[in-house]
Amino acid sequence: MIIFSDVKKSFGEKHVLKGISFQIKKAEIVFILGTSGTGKSVLLKNIVGLLRPDSGEIWIDGQEKSTFKEKDFMGLRKRCGMVFQHPALFDSLTVFDNIAFGIRKHYPKSTHQEISERVKNCLELVNLNGIESKFPPEISYGMQKRVSLARTLAIQPDILLFDEPTTGLDPISTNKVNHLIQELSTKLHTTSIVVSHDMHCALDIADRIIVLDKGLVIENASVEDIKKSKHPLVVDFLKEALANE
Amino acid sequence: MNKKFYDIVTDVGECLLFLKSVSHCAITNKVSSKLVNEQIWKVTTQSASTTALAGFFVGAVMTVQFTMQVKEFGALGYLGGLATSGTIREIGPLLIAFMLSGKIGAFTSAELGTMKVTEQIDAIRCLGADPIQEIVVPRFIGIIISSFFLLIIGLLMSVGGGLLMGQVFSGITPEQYIRHIPSIVTSFSIFNGLLKCFVFAAVLATICTYKGYTTTGGAKGVGQSVIKTAVGTMICIVLADWMTSYFSDTALSLYMEW
Repeated sequence: MIIFSDVKKSFGEKHVLKGISFQIKKAEIVFILGTSGTGKSVLLKNIVGLLRPDSGEIWIDGQEKSTFKEKDFMGLRKRCGMVFQHPALFDSLTVFDNIAFGIRKHYPKSTHQEISERVKNCLELVNLNGIESKFPPEISYGMQKRVSLARTLAIQPDILLFDEPTTGLDPISTNKVNHLIQELSTKLHTTSIVVSHDMHCALDIADRIIVLDKGLVIENASVEDIKKSKHPLVVDFLKEALANE
Repeated sequence: MNKKFYDIVTDVGECLLFLKSVSHCAITNKVSSKLVNEQIWKVTTQSASTTALAGFFVGAVMTVQFTMQVKEFGALGYLGGLATSGTIREIGPLLIAFMLSGKIGAFTSAELGTMKVTEQIDAIRCLGADPIQEIVVPRFIGIIISSFFLLIIGLLMSVGGGLLMGQVFSGITPEQYIRHIPSIVTSFSIFNGLLKCFVFAAVLATICTYKGYTTTGGAKGVGQSVIKTAVGTMICIVLADWMTSYFSDTALSLYMEW
């Protein structure tokens, strides 16, 4: 269970999160929607300790994280994988070494064969194979995004944080990623928090949708309830999703 | 004016705190020797040719300049010693530092800056590693160790340039040029050169890794980090030169008195 309790975060004069509170249960798929600059990515980064809240509490499975030091987050990051908005692959490493990076850090006793197998499995999960020896600049942006997802899956996290995972992907890869998120939740009971602008995807696979606006939660409801929302921003998102359909 | 001064002081303070965390990490954590060796190889090979070329011409210029000074005293025999001493004590380390600043400093700052703005550094943290240990410390150590190799290359080439100009311009033989080098280039001169080389390389490594690591604001931010690295290293290397010269002279005076 992930609990945000009145979390606030500012950058200088800019107040990005103005008191965010919500709860996410195990194996839930939660989409966080909102217009650009409303603090969605900042919220995700607070969960894994890449950013620290100015005030408020963040609880993950009964432990309060906002006062953790950097080294205290190491254990959490093994359980909590994050897929970034950019592919964020290491240019100087091959696709294989990019995916193996986290395995080598989190599972230092793994043999080369074990690492190879897991890298291959993770690439198959994201519909890629035969690119292990390529360097990131040698593959397309869409492939880089999927390699990035494979790299996160390789550490076998039980909480997955996605920062716009399907931006820049073709419709087939987008569907594949969305189904993968669903599959991970059903089969492995992985909790997924997906930051996105895509209401259409959210309506398809989310258990719950949280809508942020100007640093505040304006809606936090199931898909069915979101469809009935009267909030102008949510209505706009729904209209956009229907238009895309 | 006050705000600008406050920003500079804050920046210097944060840079020193960054140096502290890099030093602490280098001492307390195991740093991959493979990554360090890669950096040493990369920095040395990237800068060897330009350093060699610059070293050759510095030796040649020093010889020409000293020739004009010592010729009227009939002391051309001391030419090699004076030129080499000047190069190892001052010009060599300074030249290497400026070369590295323009080439490796800018490159490292841009490389780390790009990693920062494309979230690669955040990805390293999320994958359970410490970015200081993984990417900063190897570059930091690599730059410092490479600068010594480059100093040797530059120095050897400066002697070569000096020898050539000694023959062509000053009319002395290679034997005459080399003869007084051991008597003029003392162990103190070598210590002074090595100290400067270390201090300049450490200053450069600190500034370029700090500026790169703290980059914000996309491609424009990376560009600004590179500019700040170039300006910052030039100013700080000259300041460090003055400080090390002062320290060396004080140390030498104390040693002579003792």
